[in-house]
Amino acid sequence: MIQPDEFLETVDMIQKENLDVRTVTMGINLLDCHRESVKDTCNAIQNKIKKYAAHLVETCDNVSSEYSIKVVNKRIAVTPIANVGAGFDASGFVQIAHALDDAASSVGVDLLGGFSADVANGTSGGDLALIASIPQALTETKKVCSSINVGTTRYGINMDAVVLLGKTVKALADASAAQGGFAAAKFVVFTNQPGDNPFMAGAIHGMDQHEVVINVGVSGPGVIARALERKIAKSGAQNLGLQDLAEVIKHTAFRVTRCGELIGRQVANALKIPFGVVDLSLAPTPNVGDSVGEILQILGVDSVGAPGSTAILAMLNDAVKKGGVFASQSVGGLSGAFIPVCEDKILAEAVRDGSLTIEKLEAMTSVCSVGLDMIAIPGSVDAATISAVIADEMAIGIINGKTTAVRLIPVPGKEAGDFIAFGGLFGESAIMPIRNTGKSSRFCNFGGKIPAPIHSLRN
Amino acid sequence: MNNADLQISTYVISIMARDRVGIVADVSKNISELGGNITDIRQRVLCGYFTMILLISFPAGITQAAILTKLAEGSESDLDIQVKPVLEKVSLPANNYPENTYVLTVTGSDQIGFVAHVSKFCKENQINILDLSTTSKADQYIMILFIDLTKAEDIDLIRVRLNQFSMKTGFRVSLQHYNIFRAVNEIDLPIV
Repeated sequence: MIQPDEFLETVDMIQKENLDVRTVTMGINLLDCHRESVKDTCNAIQNKIKKYAAHLVETCDNVSSEYSIKVVNKRIAVTPIANVGAGFDASGFVQIAHALDDAASSVGVDLLGGFSADVANGTSGGDLALIASIPQALTETKKVCSSINVGTTRYGINMDAVVLLGKTVKALADASAAQGGFAAAKFVVFTNQPGDNPFMAGAIHGMDQHEVVINVGVSGPGVIARALERKIAKSGAQNLGLQDLAEVIKHTAFRVTRCGELIGRQVANALKIPFGVVDLSLAPTPNVGDSVGEILQILGVDSVGAPGSTAILAMLNDAVKKGGVFASQSVGGLSGAFIPVCEDKILAEAVRDGSLTIEKLEAMTSVCSVGLDMIAIPGSVDAATISAVIADEMAIGIINGKTTAVRLIPVPGKEAGDFIAFGGLFGESAIMPIRNTGKSSRFCNFGGKIPAPIHSLRN
Repeated sequence: MNNADLQISTYVISIMARDRVGIVADVSKNISELGGNITDIRQRVLCGYFTMILLISFPAGITQAAILTKLAEGSESDLDIQVKPVLEKVSLPANNYPENTYVLTVTGSDQIGFVAHVSKFCKENQINILDLSTTSKADQYIMILFIDLTKAEDIDLIRVRLNQFSMKTGFRVSLQHYNIFRAVNEIDLPIV
């Protein structure tokens, strides 16, 4: 029997602490949409998306109203488009991006991910054409997100692709200079990219997934932060060890995950399509009180980035998984805490105050998901330096057998310490200084690949 | 009615008393001596007062008066007892709430008429109260009601009216599906 206190605590979680479901993302396989012409392919893509996702938003809203739990974002992830459009040139891929954008608008979702390619062990013609189209495609569309997987623990890192994508990031920012380089915020480079991640910009519908599926991203860090504050206020900081606080995180993650699974399964049931996974990731938003950085402060570092930050993040990430994995029948996606600078108010403030550097962020990404995320850097940083930053982050991923990603925005015309606001969920931040620029060209010029790590040989 | 139904008669019995050790033992002993089978019990103690409601099947021929006399026997004559025959056919105890069960919580400063306000709202909106408890926390009086919305109009309309109710009375209200509470507090997920 649930006790009155538990009822009231649950009500508080929903009403005061914004317990919600961060995203319901429908994955749709588009492999069967390739036709002779780009135009016919675009039509087939639009028809298929509309067929499956026509009632996605309405269904989420209905379940949301029945349960009084907000579904913040409704999204779509599709088969990596390089596989669907292989054979077309870059202008063909731009047209496909427009078709995806129109389909996303017509069904009313917030974003659509999957303008993507997997080049972990080599780059095909279709992959190259897609990559060439990315700057124009993302500048001319509103809802389309793009991701490229450049490495896996099994195959190593495709450095030729990393070098190319450093230039792509620059081109994206330059093409959207009037919006502060915003197009780069819709593009992310991955290693060990999962095919069932519901979060943007890196959501894809992997080649090994269902025909169509519903994946869910759980509520944000705010609920965990409030639970920790309650515990500390009740028991007194002097009476608590970190293990006690890890336990609070674990219990709260259980509740948060349950809420996500309940809502996600109801949506999947109503649409009569399979339910995939719950992604346990704590995804911050720029809203006050919805910050992973704030959790680090509550757990004892006065400034985010101060020594101790990595240890706390490791504990947070681990406790979230322990609570979540028992709560859900199927956990997947990225399932770790995100530290996207622009999207997290406290992290953005730490960058402004100089306490959080990109080097510390890189260290922190080795113990959480997903990587160097939503970091605004000076527009003057050269492409080779960006590629080298990507390579460093990818190395953390392939060696540790985990997903890592890089989403940098080289803001045209801005220098370290300046300020940029992208608005909405994409947030705002001071420009992060990048030290040692222009010193990695020789490394990048080698190109080729970084071989698979020894532990790729597991058979 | 078939023969099996004629063989037994079902009664609902309510007992109230100043709380002491042994009330349940006294009552259940007397019931078993009459051949009664206890189908379901709810028992609570509120501020030192005991209350219990029981659903009992007795063999045919046991009368209301006989039950009353027997229950008073041997106890310390301190029990207020009511016995009523159950007229409809009894289904087994409803441990599961209906699918449309919501939990309404209402919080506000303690005042005369609090419960009356809330229950009037439920009545006017065809909301059946399945279970009700109150608690208080930091000067605030809190009602937690399990309600069945099967007969009520659609949930969105109820929410609109609840908002109006909240504005009028100053009470803070929340209406959540019972499944949410089960999902986040129990080990099993309450859906398929």
